[in-house]
Amino acid sequence: MANIFPKWTNHLPIQILVAGGVLFISVIAGMTYYFTPKYTRVGYQPVQPVPFSHSIHVNQLGLDCRYCHSQVENAAHSNLPTTQTCMNCHSQIKLNSPRLATVRDSWKTGQPIAWVRIHEAPDYVYFNHSAHVNRGVSCVSCHGQINNMAVVWHHEPQSMDWCLTCHRAPENHLRPVNQVTNLNWKPEDEGPGKDGKLRTQQEIGEQLKVAWNVNPPVTCAGCHR
Amino acid sequence: MKHVFQHPPEAPSPTGRKYWRTMGELNDTPEFRGWLEREFPSGIDEMETDALSRRSFLQLMGGSLALAGLGMSGCRRPEAFLVPFAKSAEWLIPGNNLLYATSMPRRGGAMPLLVTTTDGRPIKNEGNPLHPASNGGTDTFAQASILELYDPERSRTFLLDGQASDAEAFAGWIMTLRDEAKADGGASLAVLTGESHSPTRERIRGMLLQQFPQMTWCVYEPLSNDNEREAMKVAFGSAAMKLVPKFAKADVIVSLDSDFLCVEESDLAAVRDFSSKRRVAAATDPMNRLYSVENRYTITGGMADHRLRCPASQVGAVAVALAKAVADATASGPLSDLLSVVPATELTKLEKSLPWINEAAKDLVANRGKSLVVVGPNQPAWVHALGFAINGALGSYGTTLTAVAAPAPVGVSLGALAEKMKSDAVKTLFIFGGNPAYDAPSDLNWPELQKKVAVVARIGLFDDETSTGAKWHVPAAHYLESWGDDRSSDGTYVAVQPMILPLHGGVSELEVLAGLAGRDKIEGPALIQETFKTIAKNVSDDAMAWNSFLRDGFLANSAAAEASATFNPAGAKAFVQSNFKSPPIPTAEAMEFVITPDYSVWDGRYTNNGWLQELADPITKLTWDNAALMSKATATKLGLTWKEDDIRDGKGTGVYGDWIEIVVGDRKVKAAVLVDPGHVDNSVSLSLGYGREKVGRIGRDAGFNAYPLRTSAAPYFVSGAKVSKVAGDVYVFSTTQHHYNMEGRALVRELPIETYRAHAGFDEDGKSFVQKFGMDSHIPPNVSLYKHPPMTAQHQWGMAIDLNTCTGCSACVVACQSENNIPIVGKHQVRRGRIMQWIRMDRYYSTMTDKEDDEDPQVMMQPVTCHHCENAPCETVCPVNATVHNEEGLNVMAYNRCIGTRYCANNCPYKVRRFNYFDYNSRPLDQLYLGPLAKKGVAETVKLSKNPNVTVRMRGVMEKCTFCVQRIEEAKIGQLRVARDSNNTKVPTDSFKTACQQVCPSEAIVFGDIADPESKVSKLKKRDLNYKMLEYLNIQPRLSYLARLRNPNPKMPGAEAVGMSTLKDSHGH
Repeated sequence: MANIFPKWTNHLPIQILVAGGVLFISVIAGMTYYFTPKYTRVGYQPVQPVPFSHSIHVNQLGLDCRYCHSQVENAAHSNLPTTQTCMNCHSQIKLNSPRLATVRDSWKTGQPIAWVRIHEAPDYVYFNHSAHVNRGVSCVSCHGQINNMAVVWHHEPQSMDWCLTCHRAPENHLRPVNQVTNLNWKPEDEGPGKDGKLRTQQEIGEQLKVAWNVNPPVTCAGCHR
Repeated sequence: MKHVFQHPPEAPSPTGRKYWRTMGELNDTPEFRGWLEREFPSGIDEMETDALSRRSFLQLMGGSLALAGLGMSGCRRPEAFLVPFAKSAEWLIPGNNLLYATSMPRRGGAMPLLVTTTDGRPIKNEGNPLHPASNGGTDTFAQASILELYDPERSRTFLLDGQASDAEAFAGWIMTLRDEAKADGGASLAVLTGESHSPTRERIRGMLLQQFPQMTWCVYEPLSNDNEREAMKVAFGSAAMKLVPKFAKADVIVSLDSDFLCVEESDLAAVRDFSSKRRVAAATDPMNRLYSVENRYTITGGMADHRLRCPASQVGAVAVALAKAVADATASGPLSDLLSVVPATELTKLEKSLPWINEAAKDLVANRGKSLVVVGPNQPAWVHALGFAINGALGSYGTTLTAVAAPAPVGVSLGALAEKMKSDAVKTLFIFGGNPAYDAPSDLNWPELQKKVAVVARIGLFDDETSTGAKWHVPAAHYLESWGDDRSSDGTYVAVQPMILPLHGGVSELEVLAGLAGRDKIEGPALIQETFKTIAKNVSDDAMAWNSFLRDGFLANSAAAEASATFNPAGAKAFVQSNFKSPPIPTAEAMEFVITPDYSVWDGRYTNNGWLQELADPITKLTWDNAALMSKATATKLGLTWKEDDIRDGKGTGVYGDWIEIVVGDRKVKAAVLVDPGHVDNSVSLSLGYGREKVGRIGRDAGFNAYPLRTSAAPYFVSGAKVSKVAGDVYVFSTTQHHYNMEGRALVRELPIETYRAHAGFDEDGKSFVQKFGMDSHIPPNVSLYKHPPMTAQHQWGMAIDLNTCTGCSACVVACQSENNIPIVGKHQVRRGRIMQWIRMDRYYSTMTDKEDDEDPQVMMQPVTCHHCENAPCETVCPVNATVHNEEGLNVMAYNRCIGTRYCANNCPYKVRRFNYFDYNSRPLDQLYLGPLAKKGVAETVKLSKNPNVTVRMRGVMEKCTFCVQRIEEAKIGQLRVARDSNNTKVPTDSFKTACQQVCPSEAIVFGDIADPESKVSKLKKRDLNYKMLEYLNIQPRLSYLARLRNPNPKMPGAEAVGMSTLKDSHGH
């Protein structure tokens, strides 16, 4: 009677094992990269109804973040500017720019502009802007250098792990409160310390953390209610 | 192997008192034991087989999952939009709450409120602490009125002869009506409305009367103070006044069928002031004493030091006996003179109760000038007149009882209007609010009467019984949607301002009346501003004064002035003489039928409110129904059976009541019986507001209608009722008293104040007398196997509840429901023990253990919520770390981690965890068992009522009290905004409150930072009355209680038993 299994099948179990192992590892590796906000969210850059450029308004014109996001220091939510805020200037300049047609229409009709949302915390997360920007955490820490973006994209993963990294070591992101909206700030700008050397982020952060009694929450209720 | 933790045995107490919550527990029936030994109440974790079997459920689920996989539509990122305003809105910061002062118009006077609005929608009512007659507290009805605003079943369209119409057509009709009415001077025009104190409404009424002098203006309230007013008119010669009891000055109070601790019956100030005299800050502090005479337990009776069970019809006889004793002791001429018109037999009618009455009278007299007699609004006018005379003899006027000016009631009675309608004199009838077709006295036969009127225009929140057959039905604007004004119970002029535009285009009563008076359509507060100018005189800057009026919600120093009222004994005497009645003492053959207000729905106006329907009655713990209440002896005599803790149909623990028929004259009512400990014999109580015929889904098929037995002649109680058992199936009630029972263990502690004074302070071991009650007196020192979590944060949150001032009104339960987005679950789910309320109000009865069948128990209330144990047993058993401790001592829940094992609820010794067995928040309650096939989503309006700062929980998730973590975080973040680049991050002492603390009218709940020695809660926790529930488990709860004190009169019959509950067995070791 002939063998049911030909000879080459002798190696089959080991081949299956090896192939299975490789597959398993690549699936896990793939999931840890592709199924996390690092991949799914960073880089999201939708087309906005108005081609507004942060780069022009901040870098060229020198507007402070809080001119438009006026309640960021008072509220959990960082408000978008009302059409009225846009019209403060654009009732005088760029009166006929076709790029501003949507804004003018909105002002005329009273219909609000529907901006496409880029950063979105899940419903069960209660992020509070005011708790951060009042305490030396800059916009740049979570949103990247928006001042250089012509069209805003999602810069940081904003995952829970990413939040906790900072909450466990806030010194890596603290800066003087008056520099929070200066997205180009560097630790070196603070000048040399007592020893004459330029100060690092760590040194400044540690000092501010102690001086301001900064204790970011790391248990659930800090963000989940 | 399952390890069973053995609680230390309860010390035997052969002659002490025993605590029990249900009749089954008292009798220790096998059903009760069987129920108790189950981990969860029966039926709690079982699928309902007849609706959908597990197998068919899986089949259906499999199908829908396969379909869902085909499209892969879930993989794309949904595009979301941020939509800022086009024009900036003043004051509005997106995402932040904005508070407005307003007030809720109520029969007894408006309740001052601060309403939290978020993004333009009101989500939470709080009391206005600035208002002089408020301490920031509210009650259940004010809390639940938010849900009423968003009720999806509110009427939405103008109806003309049942066909959709619109506001313009209605306005046009009013214009033509004006012309017609002018012709006959308004003789055929009538307005039926509720009691209101709005100066603007009064002003418009004046305008109307000028134009239509013959117009009929009728004011009707099913439950009113008319009896007291009638007596006042003769006894003081004035109807333009109001008598205000000053509980803050009263040391001895006798309540004759009065439930003055119920805010709707009296006001917030009464509860606040009574509590201030009840609260004992140090052992030497005085404490008031309350005697209560009533036929069934009310929350006021529950607070009483001495309570006399007495048929409602015999309270008059008690008043007579009391008056006699007071007259003898004070040698008061006028009072003796008045009593001369009462037959001598009345004095000895209640022979058995005379020692009680005489001792109470002695106590009143001994405290002359500091004592007070309060008569309930349900008692006939002559009892009120007698009450006035007793208070006169006691010297209460000017001290514990003050008269203030109040506008005299206007308009004719409902009876007078009915006469006019009968004689066809009324052609057009406006009905504002109310619901006369349901709640008018049955002898008027209102529904038929209403048909005689050619045109009925009904302005109401709901399309209900009264709207049936009305020519016009007009959706009314809710008070949170309309401009108005009012006066609070102390006479202060308060604002009513809209929080949101009318959701369904409703119109307010004032707008319709103004239209009828010929005013053009009114936008905004113009009408109110006109009134304001006449009231706020001597104001230099009108706009400024108006703005502060709206900002504060009231006009400062506008309270009613004290009136000079002199008691007129001759008038009272004549009145008593002509009105005196002596109903026979009820017997088994001729019982007494008592009609009472309902703590959940009052007179029926709140019937379609789910929060209130599911709120357990403070005394009977009944949800979703009312019941014919009677004593055990009476039920036995009638041959009724009642069964509790029965699991015969596998659908949970119900209370099964037999049906009875109550016949009074030619009227009868059928109702199911609930045995009510503490109820007087041969008396049946049935509360109003249930058994509605045309009502939304919430109020449908709930309870029994008491109105058919209610006549104009006997609106509150009637003697000679024939009560008999009706054959047929039993009725199943859903009560909450069966759930979450904790088997005794000195959970509640009370003691007489003298005993407390004798044992005040702490022993050498650092423990106080109260802290060694029950098993806490003989337990070894606590050791813990678990590492105590490090709690290093600067704030450490804790709570203390003063059982001495808690009346059990349950406002905290509704406040919590409103604040924390807690769903209702429906009658059948309540029965299965799945009620979701985070606070439960435990009601204990206590009776002497040596008396087998004590029908006269005492009542104690205890709010129980998550204790936030430092060594929390729930945390150690969670397999996914969904419930953990934070550094501030909170036991927190991460809903998104929860996988629903329910181990935590199993391991919680306080039974305060609640599990979402279904998607209560997003599926209709009658389709729960259809699973994914049920309709998904709730009405848009209900979504508007949710608090955006609290997660709306889904099916399969455990939840429980969080100590309002959203308010804690808000306070902490608020302080961070202040701190900025400083280290001033500590939240100021007692600068915010939890929802339950804020609502409590008696200030029994105190929350705060226990790491701050200056905080109120720290100070309370250092008191010798402070004890922890189940301390011997060493779980170190952050919630502690202050033991309840009673202040018995030692000479009173039965005084030796008052407040002795856990005392007997506490110091034998």
